[in-house]
Amino acid sequence: MSADATTRTGRPGNASRGSIRLEGIVKRHGATTVLHDVDLAIEPGEFFVLLGPSGSGKTTTLRILAGLESVSAGSVTMDGEDVTTTPPGERDVAMVFQSYALYPHMSVAANIGFPLRMVKVPAAEVARAVEAAATKVGIQHLLARTPGQLSGGQQQRCALARAIVREPRLFLLDEPLSNLDAKLRLETRLELHSLQRNLGVTTVYVTHDQEEAMTLADRIAVFMDGRIVQVGTPREVFATPQTRAVAGFIGTPPMNLLEGVWQGDTVTVAGHAFPVGAHAAAPRDVTLGVRPGDVRVADGGLPAHVERVEDLGDTAVLSYRAAGALVKQKTDRTVVREGDDVTLGFAPGSAHLFDRTTGARL
Amino acid sequence: MIVAKPHPIRAIAVPVLTGAALAIWAFPVLWALLTSFKTERDVLAYPPSLIFTPTLANYHDVLFGATSIVPNLWSSVIVAVGATFFTVVFAVPAAYALARLRYPAKRASGFYVLATQMLPPVGLIIPYYLVLQRVGGLDTYFGLILIDLTLTLPFAIWLMVSYFEDVPLEMEEAALLDRAGRFGALWHVILPQVRGGIAVTTIFVFLNTWNEFLFAVVIGGNRVRPVTVAMFNFMSVEQTQWARLAAGATLAMLPVILIGLFAQRHIVKGLTVGAVKGGGRR
Repeated sequence: MSADATTRTGRPGNASRGSIRLEGIVKRHGATTVLHDVDLAIEPGEFFVLLGPSGSGKTTTLRILAGLESVSAGSVTMDGEDVTTTPPGERDVAMVFQSYALYPHMSVAANIGFPLRMVKVPAAEVARAVEAAATKVGIQHLLARTPGQLSGGQQQRCALARAIVREPRLFLLDEPLSNLDAKLRLETRLELHSLQRNLGVTTVYVTHDQEEAMTLADRIAVFMDGRIVQVGTPREVFATPQTRAVAGFIGTPPMNLLEGVWQGDTVTVAGHAFPVGAHAAAPRDVTLGVRPGDVRVADGGLPAHVERVEDLGDTAVLSYRAAGALVKQKTDRTVVREGDDVTLGFAPGSAHLFDRTTGARL
Repeated sequence: MIVAKPHPIRAIAVPVLTGAALAIWAFPVLWALLTSFKTERDVLAYPPSLIFTPTLANYHDVLFGATSIVPNLWSSVIVAVGATFFTVVFAVPAAYALARLRYPAKRASGFYVLATQMLPPVGLIIPYYLVLQRVGGLDTYFGLILIDLTLTLPFAIWLMVSYFEDVPLEMEEAALLDRAGRFGALWHVILPQVRGGIAVTTIFVFLNTWNEFLFAVVIGGNRVRPVTVAMFNFMSVEQTQWARLAAGATLAMLPVILIGLFAQRHIVKGLTVGAVKGGGRR
């Protein structure tokens, strides 16, 4: 993975820079623990996404990397150096905040140059670096303005330029696209991706938007309730969710989860047996997971009532009431109408099984 | 800042009400200004005359005459500038701490600051007098400035806290990550954004200490006699020298008005600085 990432950056000089380790990180706020024993290893040049619902601890983890939050236990290591108690300004990391946090009383140029001026870089050099950074994000014509005179997208670019101007070893991005409208978000996402590839700087990106995570990440860490429940490439996280919670979080719409009993080669849901590709000797309570894209209308399947048809143009999302649960199907061919009664099956080999009590993948 | 479309009633009411308020405020000022150019005879003329021969004699008297208020103006400058300076110097860090740092009993200390304002100053004047007498602080600039601080500091802190709280925490964190350090963040990022608040606080404190009379007359004396106390001397049992009083009052008002005009620009700027996202585009 790491070798892959560094060759892709095309900047081997960065290969040794931006290696990040979190070990046994615990964070408590008074009596509540917001992070439980978080371990993470991020390789140089990697685009690493922290994904999870709000309150899952992903932003806290990012702030710990920034040095804006202290840890209750554990250590943060960057390029082999223990930075657990190093102040934010001495960690050689740059951050883009969700609100951008631009300095409203300074021009765009002064904003971008600020991190350089703070360490007494000569003015001529600052001006050159500001120009270069602004050009990379396409706001070189706006340098004389103040942040208040910029659009949301331009402010976002200004914040990015302020981060890249210092060529840090680590970029921290806290939901940087969440304040942009849908169309601009998609465009900026692509630009952000190629910018990171060109610069080759290790990037940690926080989002609750799994689509952003899937498209941007080299690897994703999925956060749930203050724990990392899975780390892997977007493909791995989507194809083999390690817990029921991850399965129920990833995907639009997320995976259907049905309670059933697994015995032999089948899982029985509401009296109907589905063949699965694995064998259980003794009966076992499980949760059967099926991606909406793998649900089929098939003869002799689970009886279901069509509750809702959401036509998205090229695809449709169908909601069924089946076995007392809501089952979603994503399809490009709508053969049913609201109010129909049908029977459902699913594509062979598409079943995911999770332990009913622990939620772990079987 | 919410900008609403003016309602038709509002469109009429606002200029009428502000006009009325302005007239009520301006009338005594203009009256004093007119009176300061009159002779004592013209002042007492009935009905009052708007047409009279203006004279600068009153100004000559209060500036260069036996009853010159120039030393008193100077006294006022020392007290007001001193009290304002120390108020701002203490209030800015105190308000920053109250707005930002988390510490136990933060709310309680914030309320305490405000609660000190609830005591009428006149109730404190005797204890202050006794304390200053004990430490030799009567009729000294040190004593009067110190007492003025007890009056101005709580309000200044309370006023500044809201300005500091308006600066988003993320902006300060951004400055920390941008290698500014805590003092650099305060100096380069926070203070420029609260300069409107500092200007407002400065004006407020300067006005209050410049106009302050009660403490000045009790704590002051022959050496420390601000202009407010000196003007009191134009009134005596036998007569009140209205014209000279008006000239003195006009001179005493002058610095306050000039500072107000100068600082107005900063106040407006302080109120219109862009917010974190899309400031000014909402």
